Amino acid sequence: MKATRRDLISGGAVLLGAALAGCKRSSSEAVVYTSVDQVFAEPVFHAIEAKLGLKVRPVFDTEETKSTGVMNRLIAEGSNPQADVFWSGDPVRPLSLAKRGLVEPYASPEATALPAGFRAEDGTWTGIAARARVLLVNTSKITAGERPKSIRDLANPRWKGQIALANPLFGTTTMHVAALASIWGDDALIDFLDAARANGARLASSNGEVKRLVASGEIAFGLTDTDDADEAHKDGASVETVYPDQRDLGTLVIPSAVVRVKGGPHAEGAKRLIDGLLSAETEKQMAESGAHMPLRAGVPVPEGVRRVSDLRAMNVDFAKVADAMDRLQGRLKRWVGL
Amino acid sequence: MAVGLAVLWPLAHVLLGMTTASLAVLGRATTWALLGRTLLSCLEVTATTVVLGVPLGAVFARGRIPARRVWLALHALPLFLPPFVIALGWFHWLGERGLVGSARTSAVLFGPVGHLLVLTTTFTPIVTALTMLGMTGLDASLEEAALLVAPPWRVLTRLLVPAARSRIAVAAIIVFSLTLSEVGVPMFLRVPVYGAAVFVRLGGVDFAPGEAASLGVPMVVLGFVLIGLERALASSHGALRLRWRTRDPMDLGAWPGVMTIFAGLFASAPLLALAVRAVPGMGRCWSWAGPSMANSLVVSGAAAAIAMGIALIAGHALARGSLWASALDRVTVTGFFLPSAVLGTGIIAGWNRPATQRLYGSLAIVIVGFVARYTALGTRIVAASIANTSRAYEDAGSLGGAGYFRQLARIVIPLHARELVAAFGIAMVFGLRDLETAVLFYPPGGETLTVRIFTLEANGPSSVVAALALLQVILSLAVVTLGAIVMKRLR
Repeated sequence: MKATRRDLISGGAVLLGAALAGCKRSSSEAVVYTSVDQVFAEPVFHAIEAKLGLKVRPVFDTEETKSTGVMNRLIAEGSNPQADVFWSGDPVRPLSLAKRGLVEPYASPEATALPAGFRAEDGTWTGIAARARVLLVNTSKITAGERPKSIRDLANPRWKGQIALANPLFGTTTMHVAALASIWGDDALIDFLDAARANGARLASSNGEVKRLVASGEIAFGLTDTDDADEAHKDGASVETVYPDQRDLGTLVIPSAVVRVKGGPHAEGAKRLIDGLLSAETEKQMAESGAHMPLRAGVPVPEGVRRVSDLRAMNVDFAKVADAMDRLQGRLKRWVGL
Repeated sequence: MAVGLAVLWPLAHVLLGMTTASLAVLGRATTWALLGRTLLSCLEVTATTVVLGVPLGAVFARGRIPARRVWLALHALPLFLPPFVIALGWFHWLGERGLVGSARTSAVLFGPVGHLLVLTTTFTPIVTALTMLGMTGLDASLEEAALLVAPPWRVLTRLLVPAARSRIAVAAIIVFSLTLSEVGVPMFLRVPVYGAAVFVRLGGVDFAPGEAASLGVPMVVLGFVLIGLERALASSHGALRLRWRTRDPMDLGAWPGVMTIFAGLFASAPLLALAVRAVPGMGRCWSWAGPSMANSLVVSGAAAAIAMGIALIAGHALARGSLWASALDRVTVTGFFLPSAVLGTGIIAGWNRPATQRLYGSLAIVIVGFVARYTALGTRIVAASIANTSRAYEDAGSLGGAGYFRQLARIVIPLHARELVAAFGIAMVFGLRDLETAVLFYPPGGETLTVRIFTLEANGPSSVVAALALLQVILSLAVVTLGAIVMKRLR
């Protein structure tokens, strides 16, 4: 029986050793937490690994629920950071992190090629590859002349029971409602959401779910992101993308944003990874894979992908949007019923 | 000690994070309304699985059925898989663009009926299996005597099914608690549940671990109510005893065959849809799987090994009436019932420190999470087996001069080797199928296969996601098959 016990102990040690392997800190690696969809982000990491010889260890968010909430994990790990870089799907969450003192400013040399409105002057966050909030319309349900033109159409009785938006507690929908609140005011935003609900708006679990509902014809149109809309087009669904409010309010454009985490274990690796993420190659790759709109001039875009400069974009102050997001959380939770 | 560190240490950090302000969430009517709706949903799933599982268990146990093992394996397969994989399979049948889908079927699937369908498919085998075990546990001479004076159906319904009632009750409690803690399926199917409200506090607009913990309090209380119920109804450790006695089947007519074939086909239907959808993505699934499959095997295997070790020592002590083991049992069961979101927050708060960096920054932290959640299952099985074995063997060993460890090695392990293998297998399968625990704190680059499927599900190529789900099925099936072979050899 001694042999058996020895076997058990050595077997356990092997398993534990295997489990502990890979936690060695190295200057040629970087840990990145990202809320950018895995299907788009992972190929970018592979390309950066191949180009820079950098080992990238990612943690991804989930689309359905954003339940891992990588930003919240960054907050939870704040006293002993595990991540070096946060690649956020929007620039507002990085501002929330900065307010909590969890961001180390980094002025990447790659950032100089970006328009001023899409990066923080102090290097807190830097934008790349943007998405827009669009109306995805099922063309077999709505004729060309009837297409909705504004997000306010979500409250238009003409479309009662035929519309959807994602849960505003998660993802880019949170930022969208916060952006609207920063312009309209909180009460007007909640009134609008109430009107949409009274109009039978379906509350989808995610933007991907909105796409699914529209593509399948369960609803006539829904509010989603350009990358989800692009997926529907690639799947051959009978859909059209409408950039809303092009005559007045403008379409909300959301750049993804790169942030260096304060106290992350791989300082040099973090800088190299950020430089790689902010490169023109990454913007080109994101445009091709996920219909993201490049922020740099001169980056080629595939057919069907708009440039930010071609849009009337909603004029928002991301810092004010971040404030609105913090302010709204209680009212949004009550609106959702959780 | 290991269990304490895995469960109580994180729990203590969660409790420390609760404030008077965070407790206010429990004062809202919406919180209790949501809990009420969730409990109703749990009751519906439990009732449906009992209504289906008890007759199925009866006919699987005693009916004359061609290829019985095949149909039983097909019926039981969903239990070993992450429930959201089953949801994904039904989606490929009934979604708008599913194999037989339409707007109407999709509307039904994405709602309470779909939720009931998916969880019934997944959890009915628990009732079936425990009913079977309960019926075959009855003394054969009683059954033979009854058959002399009554027809087989009467013996089945009046003697054998009642004999299994304690195990059926335990099965119902397990189904209820698993439904209560399930989050992936209701979120996928857009059904509001209480567990999602906990997640929202950790992954939504704001980060409110105190509120998440406060919301977890009713679930922990419910957990202890369920533990009390289980103890009262099961009345002994025998409810989870796995010994199977083979007997000649009864002549129950053609119905058993029809029922079991239907049960097997129904349970495997979602997997068939996944297989059909997976064909175009099979070639690419390996590159998308990355290291996730190996991660799943390492963490669930290591956690299962630790859980088996704990099951041996704690299960033995529990069966012999030890007070510390009884306390430990409550701790492990708390880990099982604690909402995974709350446990995850506690693990981050408790273990993310420079001193424990090597543990927290590696796959070992997922092992800690799995040990915390799934040790209770194995401990109960081992305790049930030991409690039903005479203590005389150990007393004889003691008289012969054998110490505690020698008794364990030479007497307890050989006598209960099958149950120990079962404890390992169940902990490993639950680790393989886990999503909610691992997704909260898996280390960078260390995601498990379930996490990878879940993070890719919304935007990844659907054929690749289906192929990865199929890979998950194959992995779980391989572990279950291997466990069954080992257990058979140990019989």
